[in-house]
Amino acid sequence: MTVTAPSTRVVHWPAVRPWLGTAARLGLAAVWLLAGASKVDDLAASGRAVNAYQVLPYDVATVVGAALPFVELALGVLLLLGLATRLTAGISAALLVVFITGIASAWARGLAIDCGCFGSGGQLAEGQAPSYLPEILRDLGFLVMAGFLLIWPRTPVSVDGWLTGEPVVEDEDE
Amino acid sequence: MSSRRGQRGAAKVVRQQLARERRRRRTIWVSVTAVAVVLIAGLIGWGVWSSQKSDEFTAPKNTAEGGTGVVVGSGPVTVDIYEDFLCPVCKQFQDTSGATVDQLISEGRIRAVYHPVAYLNRFSTTEYSTRSSAASGCAADEGKFAEYAKALYQRQPPEGSAGLTDDELIDIGAGVGLNRDDFGSCVRDNTFKPWTEHVTDTASRNNVTGTPTVIIDGQQVTDRSPDGIRAAVEAAGK
Repeated sequence: MTVTAPSTRVVHWPAVRPWLGTAARLGLAAVWLLAGASKVDDLAASGRAVNAYQVLPYDVATVVGAALPFVELALGVLLLLGLATRLTAGISAALLVVFITGIASAWARGLAIDCGCFGSGGQLAEGQAPSYLPEILRDLGFLVMAGFLLIWPRTPVSVDGWLTGEPVVEDEDE
Repeated sequence: MSSRRGQRGAAKVVRQQLARERRRRRTIWVSVTAVAVVLIAGLIGWGVWSSQKSDEFTAPKNTAEGGTGVVVGSGPVTVDIYEDFLCPVCKQFQDTSGATVDQLISEGRIRAVYHPVAYLNRFSTTEYSTRSSAASGCAADEGKFAEYAKALYQRQPPEGSAGLTDDELIDIGAGVGLNRDDFGSCVRDNTFKPWTEHVTDTASRNNVTGTPTVIIDGQQVTDRSPDGIRAAVEAAGK
């Protein structure tokens, strides 16, 4: 038993991995779509949420705040379709690293803000404690999903797969 | 035989090279498309936002220089109050410390500048923050901002609701002695909506990130209780 247990895992991994990839891709797509949709109806508020980090000059922060929800929605759609998955996962990972850095720096500077990740944002009301650690851990979880897709971008039920016209094979790492 | 096998081998190599070339070109095009989609999405966001904001505004009467707030009183110490009529803590501040502020105004100690910002539009389904702020501009134009603001807080709708209708906003104005017709058309025409945007924009530019924010002679006050306000005014008056 002790000998066969690891070997069955080795046998199963190639079968399971593509579907894990699909789960990561769709999960990350849902994250971006929710994040974008929660901000897209109030772009001024999104700009204020960016400005609350006090990293960018106000005018730059408002432009970033206005563009960000649409970029998030676009990434969500691309991942949902599975188009250019590795590239989209790379952009996602880069964005998440920026977000995590931003939250960590707000924490380090002692700001009391909401991360504004899924709407709201800005300074917290009195008596409300910031929840930087859960926000960072959550974003790290998303980063793991993006990392998985960076390493293994080929997943079943994707436009990438349809364009290539090949089943998901082992040596897709070109 | 061996040469035919060699030919087959060469043909296979060529096919593989062609396939590789096709894959490479497809990857490039797919990548270019994806990057373009993301960039265009960002530009759309910028464009939508630029078209939403209005650059020109008319400030109501009785507002401070630059029109960023409504002035009540003329004391030596300036008290800036940033509030959103939908914000529960702002109502709480009005309930606990509003009388103190009024008293300091009537004693001639302070000049209150009210900035009715629209930070919480996403917490109502009808942009109540913007509509109530613009309506308070109409009241300010007639010199009744303070009375109107108090009446708004008395009927503050909960966050996440539709807020009060324009008709209700007008009724409240009539209730504090504003002319129903003039005030009504000012509210309905969104006369001071661009002003509300200006007030909100200036406040965020000045790093006012939440409501209520009370700033006494340039210093943000953390203790917004009646005693805290009095102490800060005393300190600033010295």
